[in-house]
Amino acid sequence: MEILAKAAAPSPLLEEGEITEIVGRLSSGRTSLLIRCLRDITARGGIGALIDTHDVFDAASAARGGVDLHRLLWVRCGGRRAVAMRAADLLVRCPGFALIAVDFGEIAPHLTLTGAYRWKLAARRHGVALVVLGARRLAGPGAALAVETVRRELEWTGPPAMPRRLARMAVGMRVLRCRGAALPAGEQVQWLSA
Amino acid sequence: MAERVSRFACLWVPCFVAAAHVRGEPALAERPLIVVTPSRADTQSAPSAPRVSPTLRASGPVREIAERPGGAGALRAWGRSGAISGPPISAVARVLDANAAARERGVRPGMTEAEARARAPELVRRVLVDGHVTAALHALLEAALAVSPRVEDGGLGVVHVDIGGLARLVGDDAAIAERLARHARTVGLPAHVGVAGSRTAARVAAQLGRRVTIVPAGQERATLAVAPLGLLALPEPLAATLAGWGIATLGKLAALPREGLGLRLGAAGLRAHDVACGRDHEPFQAWQPPASWTETQHVEWEIDSLDALAIVLGTVLERLAARLAAVYLSADGLDVELALTSGARHQRAVSLAYPTRDPALMLLVTRLDLESHPPPAAVTTVVVTVHPATAPVIPGVLGEPPAPASRDLATVLARLTALVGANGVGMPVLVDSHRADAVVLEPFRPPTTSAMPTSAVIEAAEGGLVLRRLRPPRVVHVEVLDGRPVRALDRHVVTCAGPWRTSGEWWDTGAWARDEWDVLLSDGWLCRLAHDLLTKSWSLDGVYD
Repeated sequence: MEILAKAAAPSPLLEEGEITEIVGRLSSGRTSLLIRCLRDITARGGIGALIDTHDVFDAASAARGGVDLHRLLWVRCGGRRAVAMRAADLLVRCPGFALIAVDFGEIAPHLTLTGAYRWKLAARRHGVALVVLGARRLAGPGAALAVETVRRELEWTGPPAMPRRLARMAVGMRVLRCRGAALPAGEQVQWLSA
Repeated sequence: MAERVSRFACLWVPCFVAAAHVRGEPALAERPLIVVTPSRADTQSAPSAPRVSPTLRASGPVREIAERPGGAGALRAWGRSGAISGPPISAVARVLDANAAARERGVRPGMTEAEARARAPELVRRVLVDGHVTAALHALLEAALAVSPRVEDGGLGVVHVDIGGLARLVGDDAAIAERLARHARTVGLPAHVGVAGSRTAARVAAQLGRRVTIVPAGQERATLAVAPLGLLALPEPLAATLAGWGIATLGKLAALPREGLGLRLGAAGLRAHDVACGRDHEPFQAWQPPASWTETQHVEWEIDSLDALAIVLGTVLERLAARLAAVYLSADGLDVELALTSGARHQRAVSLAYPTRDPALMLLVTRLDLESHPPPAAVTTVVVTVHPATAPVIPGVLGEPPAPASRDLATVLARLTALVGANGVGMPVLVDSHRADAVVLEPFRPPTTSAMPTSAVIEAAEGGLVLRRLRPPRVVHVEVLDGRPVRALDRHVVTCAGPWRTSGEWWDTGAWARDEWDVLLSDGWLCRLAHDLLTKSWSLDGVYD
């Protein structure tokens, strides 16, 4: 997958000092994309933080996906969106983190344009990549990159009438907004194994 | 074979009890200060603020005050009254100690407070706080530890230091003495230093009046000959007898024939003669620092706001930080105990993400904790205990992404803890179990570079499909046909895969057994359903995303 391949190295998806948004419906693969970003950061010795608004982070899945959990700060907000916003505000101002991931889940809070630019300036000052996950876009023009995920296909193993195992899922990614970086137009598809 | 020459230094703090209280309130340094025993009036005015803590009674630092060379007769009687206890609460407050400014005005220990005030009405009075004295004594010992690993508690305001072999490390005797004095000053205690071939001689040399007194090796007796006899803290009857003989200096006592002195004065006389000659009687007893270090601050007023409390906490933490810095240690946790006007005690254990001795950071973390757990009443005494630890040194590696600085990380973790609670922030750690959602949160301590994952591990890990868990799992109604779910969450099941059976702890009370199904619902959700084989109930574990 071209976008993810770029994400592994110096990446437009995880650009320092910029906001990236990942949006999509439930079961579209957006969380898997977020976890992949965390893997890329922690595998290179960087420190990541995940602000988990609704306590949905599955550490076992993340560890299977290659995330070094020892380099991950997990902040559980218990469904309090205002607390998640405040936690993001604190972390984005702490120098030394390579990635701050904010998972707002299905019900996104209201983020003013001023607030988004405040995050952006703080992220730029401290060289942090800020990734926001939600059902819809929040940061507007404050985000340098916005990606939408769509589930395209599912593969099951075993007899078609009585499958035994969920094998993998094809996720399509479409760039909604891209400022300053050359990303391929059109949809890119990535298979994620279960 | 070269003969080892013993060299000892002695740190002596004049007016130690007063100095210990000035250390808690530096503004008192220039004012005439007396430290008095608690009287009944003090007890009635502040019943919730016990000055003499039960834990200190056994150790008896206050009791030693009575046995000091300058102690008054009344205090000696109190100190030797049999039971080991703090100063008795009497009807009349008596002066335990006075600083130099008060002594210039004629105030002496043992006077009643009224007598002292008659001589100097402008006196500032403080009731004895045992915690101040103990903390100051420990601070002095720790300051000496920064120079030599062998230090001895020589009594109130006196620390003996074995400086043998330090010449190549530090320098000559004068350099060692200067370093000791400097370290004592950093913990807030102005100390005099004496260096000699024995502890007794070093102690007398320190009390001669100069800031640093060096006694050349082998010249102890000659150098100390002019010292007044009062420096030896002899028992009253013996001191009176010697005074009657016209013996006023150590030189005169040392010149007396030893056998004759033994015949007339017994063992006490022989001991006094040995001391006058600069000989040590007791073996050196090395002092070991305690596992936790405490500082106390009693306030004369009641603190009912967090801002005011933060100021007091700041001074206490600065003293602790100075003690830690003296021996190059840090604190990895704080125990804060607040004595309240209600008589209760408000205790908080504040953990630090990283060992630190930065007082500003410790204050910030403590303040954030107290903001979320404020004391229920006004505060009269602040006691802070730290657990010393060695701060790990984590060198940066070229090419590695920068990690948060210890101070920044500790600060942000403290703020996050105040925001989401201690159970809401940390590092996820997988538990060695097949039980669903077996994960715990542990304090966040990023590993050093040596613990970085290898490239092979990174390559082996394939980015996969991730589950979004529901915590706790949501109990759902599932319709089953031929052993397979056909309808769940009021939606039609399009496809399902499974079951994947897991079980565990069947040998214990926490037994579990379940079948897991991956289910595609008609609205597009890709879920994981679990059928509990023990309770026969279905639950939604999470949604793949």
